[in-house]
Amino acid sequence: MHRWLVCVMAVALWPQWAHCDDSDALLLADAAPRQVAAAKDWQWYAEGAFGQAAWRHGLGRDANQRLSLDVQLDKSLTTGWRAVLANRLDLNWPAPSGQQHSINTLKEAYLSWQPQDERSFDIGRVNARYGVATGYNPSDFLRAGAIRSLVSVDPASLKKNRLGSVMLRAQTLWRGGALTALVSPKLAQQASTEAFSADFGATNNQQRWLLALSQQVSEDLNPQWLLHGGQGQATQLGFNLTTLLGDAGVAFIEWSGGRDRSQWAQALQRADDTAWRNRLASGLSYTTASKLTLTLEYDHNSAALDRASWAALRHGPSAAYLQYRQWTQRAQELPTRQALGVYALWQDALVQRLELNAMLRHNLADHSRLAWLEARYHLERADLALQWQVQSGKAGSEYGTAPQHRAWQALVRRYF
Amino acid sequence: MKTTPLRLLALLLASMLALAAQAAPSAQEILAASDAVRNPEHPFGVTNTLIEYRNGQQTGSSTLGIYSRADAHSGRFRSLVRFVAPARDAGKLMLYSGKDLWFYDPANKASVRLSPQQRLLGQASNGDVVSVNLALDYRASDAGEEDVPDGERGTRHCHKLTLAARTPEASYHHIEIWIDTGTLQPVKARFYAESGKLLKTAYFRHYRKQLGAERPTETVIIDGLDPNWVTVMRFSDWVQREVPDAWLQRDYLARFKPD
Repeated sequence: MHRWLVCVMAVALWPQWAHCDDSDALLLADAAPRQVAAAKDWQWYAEGAFGQAAWRHGLGRDANQRLSLDVQLDKSLTTGWRAVLANRLDLNWPAPSGQQHSINTLKEAYLSWQPQDERSFDIGRVNARYGVATGYNPSDFLRAGAIRSLVSVDPASLKKNRLGSVMLRAQTLWRGGALTALVSPKLAQQASTEAFSADFGATNNQQRWLLALSQQVSEDLNPQWLLHGGQGQATQLGFNLTTLLGDAGVAFIEWSGGRDRSQWAQALQRADDTAWRNRLASGLSYTTASKLTLTLEYDHNSAALDRASWAALRHGPSAAYLQYRQWTQRAQELPTRQALGVYALWQDALVQRLELNAMLRHNLADHSRLAWLEARYHLERADLALQWQVQSGKAGSEYGTAPQHRAWQALVRRYF
Repeated sequence: MKTTPLRLLALLLASMLALAAQAAPSAQEILAASDAVRNPEHPFGVTNTLIEYRNGQQTGSSTLGIYSRADAHSGRFRSLVRFVAPARDAGKLMLYSGKDLWFYDPANKASVRLSPQQRLLGQASNGDVVSVNLALDYRASDAGEEDVPDGERGTRHCHKLTLAARTPEASYHHIEIWIDTGTLQPVKARFYAESGKLLKTAYFRHYRKQLGAERPTETVIIDGLDPNWVTVMRFSDWVQREVPDAWLQRDYLARFKPD
């Protein structure tokens, strides 16, 4: 109905609304649906995708398709007991290199017991994630080997679609603070490429433990300290802190440090070169009034190769180069010491319900780049998205080596 | 003790002053009383259904479960908000404690610090969604009494108050609010930016008995620039419940599983 017609009707019925500023809005509100949605214990979605990748070295283009099913269950059993399950199945055509067409990721499966509001215990596979930065999380100590199926380079996707670690976890809380302790046992020796393997070898191939302490020190500051150790590794410290910068900004810093071997020595099993190593991710986020959030992040890793060593490795034997790259990818570590990331999220961009996401990662040692863009439109129970990425750089650089140069993907996700 | 005429006069004057003071509460007291109409004094849970319209068409809706308690020291509400719908957001959480705002996604177990300007719910700002005691963050001054149209096509005789932000927690530079002179129920409010620009108008309506008092069960928000942009917030399922302090922190978000 036209607004003027609503105004005329409203004024005729209620003369005190002669100014007609708000009457049509209130009429609209009168007719608003009355049903109230109820919370559910489970949710799942199906996602279909198709796309194309352009390969380097004149190897042409390949089409690809994917179908994914993702389910989450969080169910209260009896008083204080709860079961959590999160699983994802990806069916890919063609199969990703070195993998099968089907890849199942058992993300979480654990039982939780909460005898009091302030105390809880969990046992099973838990995705225990730490860190406040966007692209690189040095204090996310349990991330090594967690990616089983890479469906997007988007950091949000990497954090969602990953394996938890099997652990026993206990947490106690008090006003403004929390202490968490976990132990994660060794269950298998090696990762599995079997389609439906729980793949304990990817996440539980060594015994580990972790302590996390948070304490609010002022209204705005709630730092978190972490200690992480395990079989064959020295204890590492971790720290996370965020603070507000006015009404629109957030500054964050995430650090981990400790005595450790260099990544080069670990990847190629070279002589012990243990020394104090620091890893850092810090940056700023700023949100405009038009719902555009920009994040600039600087990443540093003193356990990675410096510029000269990286250049030497790039031009040296390819076996050593591949071994180092595979190790850093599995560990979700920077291959070189410094990187920059710029991230943008624009909600209701240009039209309502359209979300634009962008990422640019820049390696400061070899100046290679990864750019990724996504346009996502939200329907009532579905998402439509178009993703595009390009990796550029010289041969042997971080992003110039990947066989895939450019790729795009269109996808439909339906929520149930 | 002898009663002198002078003492009698002083007593009479003091009584008149006390009566006058009792008869005319200050603007700040009126505002605090209207806060108490909107917000239960004990910890509570409520469901907030937001329905958004653009140009007369429904363009979105969200359902939120809200768990709030007033901080014993500051009096400010701290709230945990759980997305119930739409399906893509179900299970996500937001923690509000003044300007300390955290967003938690169970899919990636990430707790992300948000700035007050980051809005996740369309037109509704963070302060619109959760309980806020305006009297703590704004200095009220009396701008007289007047008859105003309310949200249900009636007319209410109201105190008109002008509120000026006095703490960093205040979301708006200044507010005009109309409060019923008889019931002290908030009827309507206009929210302004520092530039004087009208940001939004809100009508508090459909008063029903909830948790021991007549409270507004619907707020209609109309955008200041675009009156065709309307958000209806409907409150239901009010329940008095424990909201322990330990819940209201980042580290509890992964554990939160309401009854």
